[in-house]
Amino acid sequence: MPIINVEKTQLTPSILLDKNLGLVEIKGDSLPENTQEFYKNLMSELKDYFNSPQDKTTVNLEITYFNSSSSKLFFDFFDLIESASEKCTIEINWIYDEENESMEEAGEDFAEDFEALNFNMVTK
Amino acid sequence: MINSELSLLEELENLKKDFNSTVDKLAKDLKRNYKTMERSDKQQTREFLKLKALNKEIEDTQKEIIFTLGAIGESRSKETGNHVKRVAEYSKILALKYGISEADAEQLKQASPMHDIGKIAIPDAILNKPARLTFDEFEKMKEHAHLGNEMLRHSNRPLLKLAAIVAYEHHEKWDGSGYPQGTAGEDINIYGRITALADVFDALGSERVYKPAWEDERIWKLFKEEKGKHFDPKLIDIFFENIDLFLEVRDRLKDTIT
Repeated sequence: MPIINVEKTQLTPSILLDKNLGLVEIKGDSLPENTQEFYKNLMSELKDYFNSPQDKTTVNLEITYFNSSSSKLFFDFFDLIESASEKCTIEINWIYDEENESMEEAGEDFAEDFEALNFNMVTK
Repeated sequence: MINSELSLLEELENLKKDFNSTVDKLAKDLKRNYKTMERSDKQQTREFLKLKALNKEIEDTQKEIIFTLGAIGESRSKETGNHVKRVAEYSKILALKYGISEADAEQLKQASPMHDIGKIAIPDAILNKPARLTFDEFEKMKEHAHLGNEMLRHSNRPLLKLAAIVAYEHHEKWDGSGYPQGTAGEDINIYGRITALADVFDALGSERVYKPAWEDERIWKLFKEEKGKHFDPKLIDIFFENIDLFLEVRDRLKDTIT
């Protein structure tokens, strides 16, 4: 499957994975009823993508709110990216609203936890 | 070393590596879980405070709108805004002393300012006539109870439902000679009975376009005469038993001469 494209809902973000462009995007609020289930497809397709990634991969995360099980999942998500970081250039953009203190702190936390990743804090 | 020893050593080395990496992973997970919880606690606190502030904002807005609506009704009839405030305070005292819960008494206090809201639909010529109303004019004036109820009763807000009851029933009398329905005794909602007494007490003691303020003695005399006629006898007893509380409110919220 070269492309995953999930529309956002009130409690779940939009998800885009384009293997040809080397682009991953998660945008919106993340409070899925079943977090593992919601992100399962993305995680397995992402794993598949990193078997033969593009030269450069861009990850745009514009998350406005997330619950604690999403937080756990994002750790796994970054683990997966980190494990592929020697194969290709990966740029992560953590995009947040200046007034959203929670998301700013969350981004800083993740950046600190995954020192090996190229993590950009981007204000809207 | 012999071969078997070498392979055992290698196996131990591998076990050590596995064990270390498992411990590392466990430690990492533990740290992450702690971090997640910490962040989620922080977020929860932030949201809790925000929710509380929003809630207060909603309550304050509701109070202000209700009070302003009531004041509009009052200002049309050239009565001061303090009349509305005093009736609200008197009503709460009566409710509490009657045995109504603090929360419900507070609701009554907040709904009370709208008891005359129906007056916004009464013509100025009648509302502010500096003389006795004719029979027809009085009939028209009486419609404000029904009109107030019509304005408020469709709401689903408990406060506005209560305000509708008060607007509708505050001119009913204990003996059934009031309006608009002519209900009697405990068939009149307790909030209507309370507001009736509070409203009349304040009206008598205040100057109006058609009358000067009454002396206290004259008001006490009327209240005693109207016990069981205009007013719920139990409420009249409560009034006289707690008269200091009412006078304190009257004094604190007296109309300032401009």
